[in-house]
This record gives sequence, C-alpha cells and structure tokens, in this order.
Amino acid sequence: MNGFEGLQRMRTLQFVVLFIFAVIALRLFHLQILDRKYKEMAEGNALIYEVQYPPRGEVFDRNGEYLVKSRECYDLMVTWREMDKKGFDTVRMCQVLGITKERLVRRLREAAAAPRKATLVTNFVSKEDKLRFDACGFKGFHAVYRTAREYPMQVGGNLLGFVSEVNDKDLERDAYYRAGDYIGKTGVESAYEELLRGRKGVKILERDSHGAIKGSYMDGLYDTLPEAGSYLVCTIDAKLQKFCEELMVGKVGAAVAIEPATGEILMMVSSPTYDPDELVGRQRGNHYMQLLGNKRRPLYNRAVSARYPPGSTFKLVQGLIGMQEGVVSPGTRYPCQKGYYYTATRKVGCHDHASPLDLRDAVAHSCNAYFCYVFRDILDQNPEGVKKGFEKWEEYVRSFGFGRKLDSDFLSEGNGYVPDRAFYDKRYRGSWKSQTVISLSIGQGEVGCTPLQMANLAAIVANRGYYYIPHIVKQIEGRDSIDRRFYERHYTMVDSKHFEPIVEGMWRGVNVAGTSTLAKLPGLEVCGKTGTAQNPHGADHSTFLTFAPKDNPKIAISVYVENAGFGATAAVPIASLLEEYYLTDTITRPHLVEYVKNLKPNYRQY
Amino acid sequence: MMQNQNKSGIFEGVDRWAILYYLMIVLFGCLCITSASSEDSTGGLFAFSHFYTKQIVWMGVAWVFALLVLLLDSSLFHKWAYVAYGAGILLLLATLVIGTEINGAKAWINLGVMNWQPVEVVKIATALALARMMSEYNFSISRPGDLVKVGLLLLCPLAIIVLQNDTGSGIVLGSFLFVLYREGLNKWLCIPILMVAGLFIISFLLSPIALLILMIGVCTLSETMMNRRWRSRVVFLSSLFLSSILLYFCVQFFWPGSISYYGALLTVTLISAVGIAIYAFRSNLQNIFLILGLFFCSLLFLDTTNYVFESVLKPHQRDRINTFLGLMDDPHDLGYNVNQSKIAIGSGGLLGKGFMEGTQIKYGFVPEKHTDFIFCTVGEEWGFLGAICLLTLYCLLILRLMRMGERQEEPFGRIYCYCVAAILLFHIMVNVGMTIGLMPVMGIPLPFMSYGGSSLMAFTVLLFIAIRLDASTRTFNFR
Repeated sequence: MNGFEGLQRMRTLQFVVLFIFAVIALRLFHLQILDRKYKEMAEGNALIYEVQYPPRGEVFDRNGEYLVKSRECYDLMVTWREMDKKGFDTVRMCQVLGITKERLVRRLREAAAAPRKATLVTNFVSKEDKLRFDACGFKGFHAVYRTAREYPMQVGGNLLGFVSEVNDKDLERDAYYRAGDYIGKTGVESAYEELLRGRKGVKILERDSHGAIKGSYMDGLYDTLPEAGSYLVCTIDAKLQKFCEELMVGKVGAAVAIEPATGEILMMVSSPTYDPDELVGRQRGNHYMQLLGNKRRPLYNRAVSARYPPGSTFKLVQGLIGMQEGVVSPGTRYPCQKGYYYTATRKVGCHDHASPLDLRDAVAHSCNAYFCYVFRDILDQNPEGVKKGFEKWEEYVRSFGFGRKLDSDFLSEGNGYVPDRAFYDKRYRGSWKSQTVISLSIGQGEVGCTPLQMANLAAIVANRGYYYIPHIVKQIEGRDSIDRRFYERHYTMVDSKHFEPIVEGMWRGVNVAGTSTLAKLPGLEVCGKTGTAQNPHGADHSTFLTFAPKDNPKIAISVYVENAGFGATAAVPIASLLEEYYLTDTITRPHLVEYVKNLKPNYRQY
Repeated sequence: MMQNQNKSGIFEGVDRWAILYYLMIVLFGCLCITSASSEDSTGGLFAFSHFYTKQIVWMGVAWVFALLVLLLDSSLFHKWAYVAYGAGILLLLATLVIGTEINGAKAWINLGVMNWQPVEVVKIATALALARMMSEYNFSISRPGDLVKVGLLLLCPLAIIVLQNDTGSGIVLGSFLFVLYREGLNKWLCIPILMVAGLFIISFLLSPIALLILMIGVCTLSETMMNRRWRSRVVFLSSLFLSSILLYFCVQFFWPGSISYYGALLTVTLISAVGIAIYAFRSNLQNIFLILGLFFCSLLFLDTTNYVFESVLKPHQRDRINTFLGLMDDPHDLGYNVNQSKIAIGSGGLLGKGFMEGTQIKYGFVPEKHTDFIFCTVGEEWGFLGAICLLTLYCLLILRLMRMGERQEEPFGRIYCYCVAAILLFHIMVNVGMTIGLMPVMGIPLPFMSYGGSSLMAFTVLLFIAIRLDASTRTFNFR
C-alpha cells in the first residue's frame, strides 16, 4: 500500500467519522427541537398536580331556605413511609375516626404497597373528628378538604338529585374530571353541575421517580386557587314540597306545581322518594344499592320521566281543539246514554249524570260521550279526510307540549307519547278511522304524558293559551338571568278566547256540581278537572289538574296517584290541600289531611 | 527552576489541541456528574460520599497517570506491547476466577477502594499489541497468514470477555476494523464484515421496509462509488422507487389490501435485479455481481434471522439471546430505560433547563444517570446546543487523533493513534446512540464523561500514550 492510497483511506475514514456524528446530531435535532412529545412526557413524569377542591355551590328554595348545604369534611390520607409504625395506636385511631379496625388495616396494607404515595384511609371525616384527629398527632396522616352535601329540609330526593364520585364515562366525556372527583348525577345537581362544582385549584409539586414530594414547583408560580361553586336559588317552595311529600307517603305517583305566570316549578314530588341525606357519606354505597334494589324504584323521578295515560284531564285539550276547529261551540249539546256507542253494541262507557250537557257541564261532569263526539268530529269533519284530520289533531296536541320534551332543566325529562298517523297506519295496515282510535278522546289508549306535561297543561289553561317552559332555577349567583328559553312564551295553536268555556267548566266542576267538588275552597275560586285513567297494571290511576284562583292564577297543580281509583279519591284531596296551603299558608281541614295520610292504595307487595 | 525545566521537558512537542479538548470534556463531565448525582447523597457539599467529589479525586489520579505516561520513553510502549497484551489476557482470565459480578457481568475486580474493570486495560494493551504486530517489518495485511494473526490477536481477549458475559465491552474490539481499513485491509473484506455487523444491530432497530430501503441505498451508493457513474444510478434509484409506488397503487386499486409497500418494493427490486445483471454483463462491470450477491445474501440473512428469531425460537430463548447480545439490560422492562432517557434528552429543548435544573435526572427517572446514561444530563440540562458542543469536541478530538496518526514517522504510532480514535468513536457512537434510541442498550461508558475511576483512568492513559508517541515524533522532527 502506497502513501497515496493511505491518504485516500484517511479521507474516507474522516468522512465516516463526520457521517456518524452527523447522524447523531440529526437525531438530537429531531428529539430536542422538532418533537414536542418528550417535553410533555417529561412534565407528566416529574410534576404532580395536587387538586385543591372548591366547596360545592349551595341550593336555596324560593324563600331563601337551605335546600342543600355544603358541609366541610375531609378525606384522610396516609403516606406509609412517613408513618410512625412503632407504637401506632390502631384502636385509638378507629375510635376517633369511627371506622372498623378491619377497614383501617386493609387501607394501611394498600398504603404499604405504595409507601411514598398518599393513600386514602377514609373519607367524609367531619370537621370535629378532623380536629380531634389532629390533636392526637398521628404522623404521616394528612386531611384533604372536601365538601359533603347536607339537606336541612330533608326534601326533594329526586328533585335535587345526588352527588357521587365520577365514573369512567364521566372521565371520558369531560376532561375537567379526575378520578376521585364528585359529580352531580341526577336532578338539579346534574342539571347545574357546571355551576355548582366551581373550579378546582391546583398545587403543582415536584416529585422523584418513587413519587416522593420534593416541594413546590417554581415556588407556586403556576398554582391556582379553587373557586367555590355558585349558589342557586330554586323555584321550589320547600314547605310546600315537604307538605306534599308527607301527603304522598305510601302512594306511588307524582305531583307537580307550577306558577303559571312564570313557569316556575313550585313543587315537584315523585313518590316514593328517599331521604337525600342517605346518599351522602360512608354509607352511601349501601343505601344506594338498597334504593336501587327497591322494586318501587324510589330513584326514578316519576314527575319528569314517567309516562302515564292522562285520562279525563285530556278532555280539556279535546274541547279546546274542537272549538278551534269549529266542530263544537260552547253551546253544543250531545246526548249521553251512559256512554258513547260507536257501533250498535260497542261503546265508550260513561257514568251517571244529567244528559244532554253543553261543553261547560261536560267538562264539569267529565262526560265521556261528549268528547267522543268532539274527537270524532275533529277527525271526520276535516275536508281532507280522517287521516289529515288526525294529523291536524296531533299537531294541536303537540303544541300543548305533549309527546316531546318540554326542554325544562331536568336532564332526565321524558317525552311522553303522542301517536302519529304512521303509527296507526302500521298497526291497522292503513285501514283505520275515527272509531278505531276513539279512546284517544278521553286520554286513554296510546297517548301518554309525564306529570310535568300535565302540570304544564294546567298552567296553559290557567294562562288561557300559553306557557313558559317549566324550570327549577330562579336565580344563579353572579348572573343577571337564567337561561333565555325560560323567558319565552309558548302559545298553543288554540286561540285564547276558546279557553274561557273550558275554565268555566273546570270552575263549575269544583264549585257548582261535578266530579271535583271536594276541591272547593271558599274565596279561592278553584278550577279543576279530574281524571280516572284505566291502565293494565291494576286499579285506575287517580289524577287531578287544578289551578287557582280562577282569575290571575297563582298556582297550577297536577297530582297523579297510581292505582288509587277515582280522581276524587286521592288526587283531588291532595291537590286541594296543597292549593290551600300554598295560597293561604294554613290547613283548615285536618280531617282531610288525616284521610289522605291514611289512604293506602292497594299496591302489589314486593 | 528545576520543576519548570522538567515540565517543559514533559510537555515538549505534545499536541496542545488534543489536551485542550480532553480537559474540556473531562471538566464538563465532572459538572454533569455533579448535577446528575446531586440528589443522591445527603452529605455536605464536599463530602467524599458524593459521586462528583470522588470523580474529582479520580480526575487528579488520572492526571498523575497522564504525567507518568508523558515521562516514559516512547520506545518503551513498542518494547512492552506484547508483555502488556499477555498481562492483559492473564488479568482477564484471573477475573473469570476471582472477579466480582456486577449487573450480571463477571468483569470486575474488587480492589477495596474501587471496582476495577480489567477490560479497560486490555483495550490499551490490545491496541499496543496490534500496533506492534502490524508495524513489523515483514507484516503485510494482504497476506492471509498475517491476517489470521491479527484475527487471533483480537479474538483471544474477545472470547474471554464474552465468557465474562460482558459482550458490550467485547464488541469494542470490533472497532479495530477502522484501523485495519486504514492499514490497507482489502475493502471487499471490510464491506461484508461491516454489513453483517450493521445488519445485526439494525435489524433489531428498524422495520423491514426501512431496512430494505437502507440496503438498496447502501448497495447502490457503494456500487456508484466503485464505478463512478453517478447519473445513471440516480436515475435507477428514482425509477425503482417510482415504479414500486406505481405498482403499489395499481395493485391496491384492483385488489385492495393484497399488497404492502414492502412487497411492492421487493418485487420491483427483484425484477430490476435481472436488468442489473444483464447491464453488468454487457458493460463488463464485474463488481456489480458482487454487490448483487451481497444484497441477496443480506436479504436472506435478514429474513432468516427474523424468521428464526420470531417463529422457531421460544420466548425464553429469545430473551436469552437478547441478553447475550446485551440488548436487554433489564429483562422485565426493556423499553423503560431508553424511553426515560429519550424523554430526558428530548425535554431539554434548544437551550436546556440549566445546570442542576433537570427534573428527569434529578428525580431519578433516568437509570444509571451518572454512568452509562450521563449523556442524558447533557441533553436535558444543556439542551441541543450543549449536546452539539460536546459532540463537536469529541469529533475534533477523534479527527485530531487521526491527524496525529498520519504525521507519525513510524507505522507503530500511526496504527496506535488510529486505534485510540476507533475506540473513542465506537464508545461515543454506541453510548450516545443508545441514549437517543439509535443503538441497542449495551453497558459501555461515554469516554471521559461517565462516572467511574477505572474507565476515566484507562481512557486518559489510552489517549496520553497516543499524545506521547506523537510528541516524540515531533520533537525528533524539530531537532
């Protein structure tokens, strides 16, 4: 090998050296400058974000009484490594915390598995217990501030809803949450979750690869303070709510009261209900499972979710549509031979009353035959045929808020059900007429509504033709107004003038003669319409729609009691007592209260 | 006055640049060890329990050794080369018997004060012995007999090191190929050796498609370098890739999902191979057949190794082979170390987090942060700029060593300097490569940077012998 070739080979080798260093430099350029991934991973590695929980927003009723209070409580954490293992007094700790020894031992074993990590020992430690615990001076334990719910009035289980730890779905849906956070699951708690929860603060700490804390990151430059949740003022009248819950004990059903002029929900009871305090604290899981196992479904908010046949209360809608369509006028009279014969032998039965009646008295006496005639005419007298007539009728019904969500602030609101033309076309293979669907005229058959929709109907009649979307929140801390949709008037397709005869009929039914005379209250000008809904589950459902006073109404109520018989048996007395209590703040008929409380409809025993 | 004279005597003719690079790297290494280990110890700032105080002491000791080397007569190295080699082999054998096991490798001798790795000395001894053997008057690298001698010289220590289960350090001896090439080893021998070694490592790191593209690129490039017909080769490469893309999309269009891009490229390449063969035959370019042969051999080699590895071997056998290759430092969690190391370096950004501010290193996410993974500290705390500065220093040092080699009068000095350059290059390439995920994890230190007395002293002595040899040549020249 000569010198020249050696030189050439040196050049090649120099090139090799430079090439190797260039590859490394390029790779470094990619890692350190181009790729952001590693920086984020590094932060996740070395920083821990210690959550500072805000107090959850409280809820007041319309008169400023506490419905939901936030109570200070603590999660007790232990860091195994810092614990004083020698002379650790298990018995004393159990006493102070009120937990069993087994539980403590189990939790300590968990803590020992990750010795440098803070592990939960027990939650819902009251402020007093925490102070006592602090005084004992156990090493390695620290308390994390949380808040627990408290219900001073002990009302409105389903209405207010409950709070629980987030589950996997919540974590996936909303990036705000982290495991261990609390979230409103039902009722107001869930509807206004984003206002009530406030904003978590964060303390950023540095840690090593074993998880041990090394101190505050950048001296707390990026830490944030927690922001307390906003308080809410509910439209609920807590006293009325409590009274109604007492009256509904032992009955299955729902009662909803609305202020017609605003659409504010004054009271909303779903029965059976539960003590909201049961779903807070360490025993929450057990109580929840008990409630979940209860066959009467106390966790089901019947007031907004259940679908009931409206029964005779639906006649109000029928009469109104009839008048608007011009097939009936207030003076029209129809005969009733204890029912409406739609073939020679088949009839819709009716009870004993004078005949023939005009529209007002038909409402007062709840004549089935009368509204069968009206409904038949709505369909049959349509120039475009029965099916067009039915479509028109359906459109009217929907304008009353039936068959769809009212868009209230309850997330669990049900649709109810209003059958459409396609439904019958399918069921009867296209051949059906007014007689086929005649049971719709008296609110039976396929039609179904939620108690909230029925209360809304009462409010519509009370307002003579319009409603505000029923809502539960009156005022939100730090905001001038609630959602805009609650300030909008929704008119039905029936003109205001047609409501007077119906209202007159409802007034007569209470104050002159009819099905709801029990609801008469001197000086309050109560109007009402009973309903007795047949159903496949047992005795008839008892229902009553009412508002008072007749002019300038202050309250509209719908009471629905399952399997309690006639409207007058259960729903009328309950609604009447509620009206009296709300409007006059007194109870003048204690015997009626006794009667209602002793009234036990015959439910299936589970 | 005496001292002064003495000093100028020692330093006469030494390469000041090389010493400057060396000092900068060593001091920077101390800084990084300080930062990397600051959280580990509880003693005061200068307590001896700290890694960095220990490292400073080792640094002093290493400098004493460096001075001793400079004091020695340069001819001594030539004279004692074989003796040193024999002693090194004996030491390695002794380690097999009396050595202590650290991290699964029985490669350490406990000296009380420190654990000492004989392989560090063996590297120097082997370099010296190789230099001596190849500088013999009648040595010719093109003679098969001499080549076998060289092979035996390298294989002896390698076999013992492998027996010690310290394969990573053993592979370092492979870097002498660098030297052999400079000394005129037939390039046809270099290419297959390099290819097998490269493929062996790369096949574990790259996906099949990347490998195929790499192989096509390398083969075409080497062929071009031999025959110097650039233009037609560029045309060939681009038409190859274009037609493979075309084929891929056509097949995808008619029979979706029936072909991968790997398949398309392989098909086109195999078809084109026929064309290449015809071309080579016509234009009488024999070496193309050689390249083609190499290409197909490595293709077969890759596919068979992968096939054998994935389907024939059982999982525990696979693990054993990986461990043998030094690919699996931590059998439970192979990816963890490299991933944490990449996170640390990647999070450094352009300017780094600043001295002692690296969170990943400080809080123990990076394993072996002051020894094998010291480069993470550079990357995280000094950022891209710091890392590039360090690499530049290394690069300059290596190029300097090669230059020092070229200006030697005697082949002995030249070969030795190249040996040092090769050892350093290999260590840097593998060590830095592993921290940034380019190389499999092998437990070899970063020269002059990693914590550890024996490695720092060995590298210092290794370097200063080269400086001493160079200095004697220059003083001789100047006089």
